[in-house]
Amino acid sequence: MKAFDVLDISGDVGIMAYGKNLEDAFRNAAVGMYSLITDLDAIEEKRSIDISVESHSMEGLLVAWLNDLIFHFDAYGFIGKRIDIQEMGDNKIKTMVTGEDFDAERHEGKLLIKAATYHQLKIEKKDDIWEIDVIFDI
Amino acid sequence: MAPDKLRRIDETKLEISEDYKPGMRVNGIIYVDDILEKELENQSIEQVANVATLPGIIGASLAMPDIHTGYGFAIGGVAAFDLKDGIISPGGVGYDINCGVRLLRSNLKREEVLPRIKDLVGVIYNEIPSGVGSKGKIRLGPDDERKLLLKGARWAVEQGFGDVSDLERTESGGCIEGADPSLISNKAFERGRAQQGTLGSGNHFLEIQYVDEIYDEKAANSLGLFKDQITVMIHTGSRGFGHQVCTDFLEVMEQAVGKYRIELPDKELACAPFNSPEAQDYLAAMRAAANYAWANRQCIMHWTKEAFLRIFIATPKALGMSLIYDVAHNIAKIEEHTVNEKKMKLIVHRKGATRAFPPGHLELPEIYRPIGQPVLIPGDMGRASFVLLGTEKAMKETFGSTCHGAGRVMSRHQAIRQAKGRAIWREMEDKGIIVRSAGRETLAEEMSEAYKDISNVVDVVHNAGISKKVARLRPLGVIKG
Repeated sequence: MKAFDVLDISGDVGIMAYGKNLEDAFRNAAVGMYSLITDLDAIEEKRSIDISVESHSMEGLLVAWLNDLIFHFDAYGFIGKRIDIQEMGDNKIKTMVTGEDFDAERHEGKLLIKAATYHQLKIEKKDDIWEIDVIFDI
Repeated sequence: MAPDKLRRIDETKLEISEDYKPGMRVNGIIYVDDILEKELENQSIEQVANVATLPGIIGASLAMPDIHTGYGFAIGGVAAFDLKDGIISPGGVGYDINCGVRLLRSNLKREEVLPRIKDLVGVIYNEIPSGVGSKGKIRLGPDDERKLLLKGARWAVEQGFGDVSDLERTESGGCIEGADPSLISNKAFERGRAQQGTLGSGNHFLEIQYVDEIYDEKAANSLGLFKDQITVMIHTGSRGFGHQVCTDFLEVMEQAVGKYRIELPDKELACAPFNSPEAQDYLAAMRAAANYAWANRQCIMHWTKEAFLRIFIATPKALGMSLIYDVAHNIAKIEEHTVNEKKMKLIVHRKGATRAFPPGHLELPEIYRPIGQPVLIPGDMGRASFVLLGTEKAMKETFGSTCHGAGRVMSRHQAIRQAKGRAIWREMEDKGIIVRSAGRETLAEEMSEAYKDISNVVDVVHNAGISKKVARLRPLGVIKG
């Protein structure tokens, strides 16, 4: 099974992520998003950060979590490559993200993502496969 | 193709009737002619209709000819709300708060710059941080950051970036009153700390241009523009700081929608009643982000002038580089407008739309009061940009607003696919335009074909009378993120 596809929409760009469970789909959505920012083959697993968020809905959880990953990139340059989901409930997600700091000398800059949005956001299960559609403002 | 629900009012306007969708309180009006009507996306029409359902909307839900689908509100949208029973919505401003454009004039002529254009683009590219993951040269301490958010471009001038005279040539004097740094999250502060004085990426740019056509000699003269003159256009906004403010407040607004029982056709229209604490907090935080953006464009302009001085080894007076004007095109502002012959204060949302105040308007600086507000419309990197002036008709029809740019026609990936195997930089160079970009894919995404033809967009607002053409600028050198 493919991890994700890039969603093509007029002004912006999105990720269609798949998983055999919700955790997998979340993980692939994040890796998909990172792959829009830079080529992940050049990213090494050098350090880890903990990201936990709470929200009142699954959609809210996904958007808030991705926005936290975007924040850690935009403020500190951190790019994740491996995502460990340590805890996941309806209202809470606890994760450890491993990667390294972006270095313009070694890493290619692709898209500058401003935020994850609710625009056409979808989290659903189809024939045992979870699918997430999320659009980013760039 | 436009659905049947659209009725043509005249050559430049389409109407979406109030009965198109349940809950619409006013009509929608889209400024497009026959040419641009063909490029209308169905979803963006729906978005214009959706905005018409929001409480307290006044007049009509408006869209400019560069309309395309956004989040909740269409890009190119203008919506004004009553302060008493209206709302404010972060989605009506966008993530890049006070994304905007400034234009500098010079005494240089095209033929003087052409032999040095490569060096000039190179120096500016090295001096002004751009692209994904870039950091600015300015490091803000907590105290500086607070001052910057309160004072905007004025802070930058106090730090030695530019002249006091730049401020009157900036919308709102480069500083919108009522910003409150205490409402800014730590995350926004963290994102903003190293990004002051950076260009960003995507459609943001710095362009060295020349004046290739003048439509209104007298107005051009008043603005200090002449044929073959070199100008510089800077297009950027509040960077990660503004994006985080928007992200933070969309969450606040989502709660507010439930609390105040506002019915929304789309979650991204999340908003709060104008007089609620949530709305007032957003307004004060948005104003801080707007000030961050004005400081940003002021700093970038300063370094651009320095680069010119270095390349052309001349005195600042001889180069004659000075700001013509700076406009915000993603912002919400309280303004006075005449509605049904009554003066009213409204909260005007412009998301991908430019203010276009007429001659005589009291918010304009004295230098521009006789001619009207300069309106700066950037096009794509291969074609042209335009200088226009605001008009009385804009005041009557569009809450003093006009278009903001070309508007995309191709998705970013479509553009990248079309550009595969092509060297966009070389195609540009063959056209006489030198391009530098931090990102390899940026040039493909931003190629001319990915955008509507700016000339068509500007013709619509000119023919509609909501602004009037003064001059066309052609690119010679482009710096992209």
